[in-house]
Amino acid sequence: MAQLNVQHVDKIYDNNVQAVFDFNLDVKDGELIVLVGPSGCGKSTTLRMIAGLEDISAGHLLLDGKDITQTPAKDRDMAMVFQSYALYGHMTIYENMAFSLTLRKENPNVIHKKVLAAAEILGLTSQLNKKPSQLSGGQRQRVAMGRSIVRNPKVFLFDEPLSNLDAKLRGATRREILLLHKRLQATMLYVTHDQTEALTLADRIVCMSMGHVQQVGTPLELYDAPANRFVASFIGLPPMNFFEATVRDGYLEGKGFRAALNEEEKGILLPYAGKEIELGVRPEDVIQGDDVAMNVFSNENLGMNTLVHGHLGGGEKVSAKLRGWYDFKNGDNVNIAFARKHFFDKENGVAIRKGESA
Amino acid sequence: MNDEKSIRLDRMRYTKNTLASGLALLAIFFDVFFFISIYESNVGSWYYNITIGASILYNLIFLLAAFLCSEGIKNYKQAYAYVMVILGVIQIVRIFIYPMKAHTAAVTIQEQAVTVMESGQFVRCVLYLAISAACLFAGAYVGITRSRQLSAHLKSLGLAA
Repeated sequence: MAQLNVQHVDKIYDNNVQAVFDFNLDVKDGELIVLVGPSGCGKSTTLRMIAGLEDISAGHLLLDGKDITQTPAKDRDMAMVFQSYALYGHMTIYENMAFSLTLRKENPNVIHKKVLAAAEILGLTSQLNKKPSQLSGGQRQRVAMGRSIVRNPKVFLFDEPLSNLDAKLRGATRREILLLHKRLQATMLYVTHDQTEALTLADRIVCMSMGHVQQVGTPLELYDAPANRFVASFIGLPPMNFFEATVRDGYLEGKGFRAALNEEEKGILLPYAGKEIELGVRPEDVIQGDDVAMNVFSNENLGMNTLVHGHLGGGEKVSAKLRGWYDFKNGDNVNIAFARKHFFDKENGVAIRKGESA
Repeated sequence: MNDEKSIRLDRMRYTKNTLASGLALLAIFFDVFFFISIYESNVGSWYYNITIGASILYNLIFLLAAFLCSEGIKNYKQAYAYVMVILGVIQIVRIFIYPMKAHTAAVTIQEQAVTVMESGQFVRCVLYLAISAACLFAGAYVGITRSRQLSAHLKSLGLAA
């Protein structure tokens, strides 16, 4: 397997539209990196540049220390799995999986061994004589993965491989990819716009927006300590609540609420005394308490939790994911508190952390 | 399943018998050449008219039958190999029906005696039919051999043939 270094990579199209800005990433051997972000953020473009399907406008790409920036896609020793599976409809599953090796004129017996081994890993042995049209979406995606496995590439690239699957199948296939990664210990880059996929699969996540890398870190780091307002809003479901608030006398005062700060929070916000900041609270960190009054306008029972939507006194919307089953009616007033708060600079959206000045 | 022979046999579970199938298609190819060649004949009597007409009709049947055999044998179905043998025998027999008789024969066209089939045309016709037959026999042989091998291999794996 392999180590991949992406250094200061830009993508500028012929019409001068820049899709990716100064992308830097060091992928360790055997690591599963997930590139996540909304549509049009440049994640697929980045993956296609790594695969060699798009030219790199500036910067360098190193595989095991060797510069492969100008190396054609076929010589990069990377395998890509596409959202659309890209299987040959007239070939059987066996032939589809063997195809790339057949093109390389490998020994048919060696190809056979590799295809059977990959089929065994993916649970496709009984499907080898079938055509892609006879398989379900999940099975087809496994075939696409199998086609990559038989090549034994240095790096696996996945471009939104689960997007065509229904929710149930997506969950099952996601677990299969995770098991596959553990089993192969392969270096993998995975592109998705689904933050659940990113959080569950990744060793590290690269969160992107408008062609810029917003944060690189473990799933927990992105969830627990988002670098900026964008990451905070993108990671987490339901998304984080944001309120404008002013730091004053050990309190955060916003429209219709006044929340007390603990000693640590006071320390973090000391440079922002008297200034306006943005307060972020995850719905799961909204608990029943006495800090703020919420006027309920929607109550969604999720089984273990209840998702309650309401307005604060100043009219700002808030979502709370309360543990347990509640049946709040529209117009009910519920007292809530913020168990954990995130603070963001109002000017640039950067997270305010300990030791950082205003 | 580690030795080369076992792997080669096991491969047949998932790969088509393209050699036998290809030979059957090649037989069609040469039959078509023969078919085209007979039109060069100087047809001056009802006998050769009828023979060529029959040949056209048979060719249609042959094309269909040989193509079906090609598809069947591709999937290791032994029965198609036997049909290929029959088609091959008929191709040999055809050599003695039209080219052999037409080669030495003469007909009168516009009060002139002409040879129905010149030597060059005769050689080509015989050659095409012979090669077509040889392809069918070879394809049938490959088909039967591989079908039997696959059947025995599946039996050894405890799978139904």
